[in-house]
Amino acid sequence: MSKTADLPDAKAMLDTRGLYDGPTIHSMNPLLLMEKIIRERIIDSLFWKEQAWGLNAATLLDRAVELSYIGGQYANQRPTAFICLVLKLLQLNPEREIILEYIQDEDFKYVYPLTALPYRYAFIQIYGGSEEVKDGGSSANGLHRYLRALAAFYIRLAWPAAEVYKTLEPLMRDYRKLRLRTQSGYRLTYVDEFIDELLTKERVCDIALPRMPTRTQLEDLDELEPREPLVSDVDSDEEGEGEGEEGEVEGAGSTDEQA
Amino acid sequence: MSKPSGVYDNAATGDTSFRRTWNREEYAQKAAERQAREASERKERYEAKMAGKKYIPKVEVGGEGEKKFDDSKMIEARRDRIRLDENLNKVQIVPLGSTGGRRGKGPGYYCEACDLNFTNSLEYVEHLNSKQHLLATGQTDTVERATLDMVKERLAWLKQKKREQDQAEEFDLAKRLAERHKIEEQERSQRKERKKVKKEEARQKKMQEGSIVHSDGLQADHGQDYAMMARMMGFGGFGSTKAQ
Repeated sequence: MSKTADLPDAKAMLDTRGLYDGPTIHSMNPLLLMEKIIRERIIDSLFWKEQAWGLNAATLLDRAVELSYIGGQYANQRPTAFICLVLKLLQLNPEREIILEYIQDEDFKYVYPLTALPYRYAFIQIYGGSEEVKDGGSSANGLHRYLRALAAFYIRLAWPAAEVYKTLEPLMRDYRKLRLRTQSGYRLTYVDEFIDELLTKERVCDIALPRMPTRTQLEDLDELEPREPLVSDVDSDEEGEGEGEEGEVEGAGSTDEQA
Repeated sequence: MSKPSGVYDNAATGDTSFRRTWNREEYAQKAAERQAREASERKERYEAKMAGKKYIPKVEVGGEGEKKFDDSKMIEARRDRIRLDENLNKVQIVPLGSTGGRRGKGPGYYCEACDLNFTNSLEYVEHLNSKQHLLATGQTDTVERATLDMVKERLAWLKQKKREQDQAEEFDLAKRLAERHKIEEQERSQRKERKKVKKEEARQKKMQEGSIVHSDGLQADHGQDYAMMARMMGFGGFGSTKAQ
């Protein structure tokens, strides 16, 4: 695909009169990956017309760093800014490298737990009192968590299954908090929990995700290597210490065998 | 435009001389200009087609004096929000009889470039996105496609901006506490002062009232109650205003 210009909105891409010859995802018009009802709500919304109009893959970042919650629809079935930007990404159809640039976040330092407690608890123990965990994405460290969630959602929608697993699984060591806005209010979630939902659930953020074979199926087809647990290196040198507390890691296949 | 110098100017010279006269050179020049412009546009259109690109028309810029033709710009994303509540609670003067139709200024949202008026914010925003408006403001209907470098640059810029903002927000607790103390001290002293003044005023008033009551023979036995009532109702006492 060698486009030199983008369109300011989705009008031309949707008004195809049965003859679509633009770029495709999963051999269909990318915009149709989102259901008709919510798509039309998005296109009618003020955010789409005012804020999402005329964005390209670079200026979209301006809006993405301003996000303060994820979610599909809120209040009286109004589309969130998050879901509007997902549709925008589908329309822009950015190159692979650009999406990878979105999800990588060099500012964020992974914190390895000192004990073999389940990851998230250990993380909260270390960072529990600091404003990094407490605030909803205003510190420098939190600049990209919503951008990352946005790109992860796009990857789940648009990329082939094996790539989705390969790209999204490493993000499961990101335990930062996310705000999820639903019809009935806000709820707290975490980046890793969100990724896990993307990989295992059928509907996330009020969008039916494209069908994707499970990890085991892909492993049987030799499209994926068995997953390497994120905690293996920690377990090996902390053997025998917190045996009783050793729990399962969220979404991970398995930790190393206990001694 | 050449101005005809009066229809009946040369009435004395002959029968048909009452007809309008035209500045032929000026119109010939105009025609030549138009032809040249159209030819160049045709050429550009052809060249764009040969290069496999979309032809982007040039737009007029500048006022009456110096007319130039410039390339249309590509659309850029909005930097700021559209200020839809700009004219809220303001009195605007609109020409009489401008109620029907969209042309011309009227109550609501007015687009100066297109001379159109809208009574609904969503309609107005839609108009700002429309081809008609883009053409009138010298924009094409395409957005520049971002490359990876542009994305990286933008991300770095946003990070830098965020860092600067955070630095500006950083604060020294001791300094802020001291400042707060100072403010509280000031407020306390001001309150004290106000109280003092009030007390003084109340004392003065009481003294005056006392003198009124005393001077008024009628109220002598009912005392304070009557005086209070009279004061609430806005006059000095229930007695006659005649000099006693």
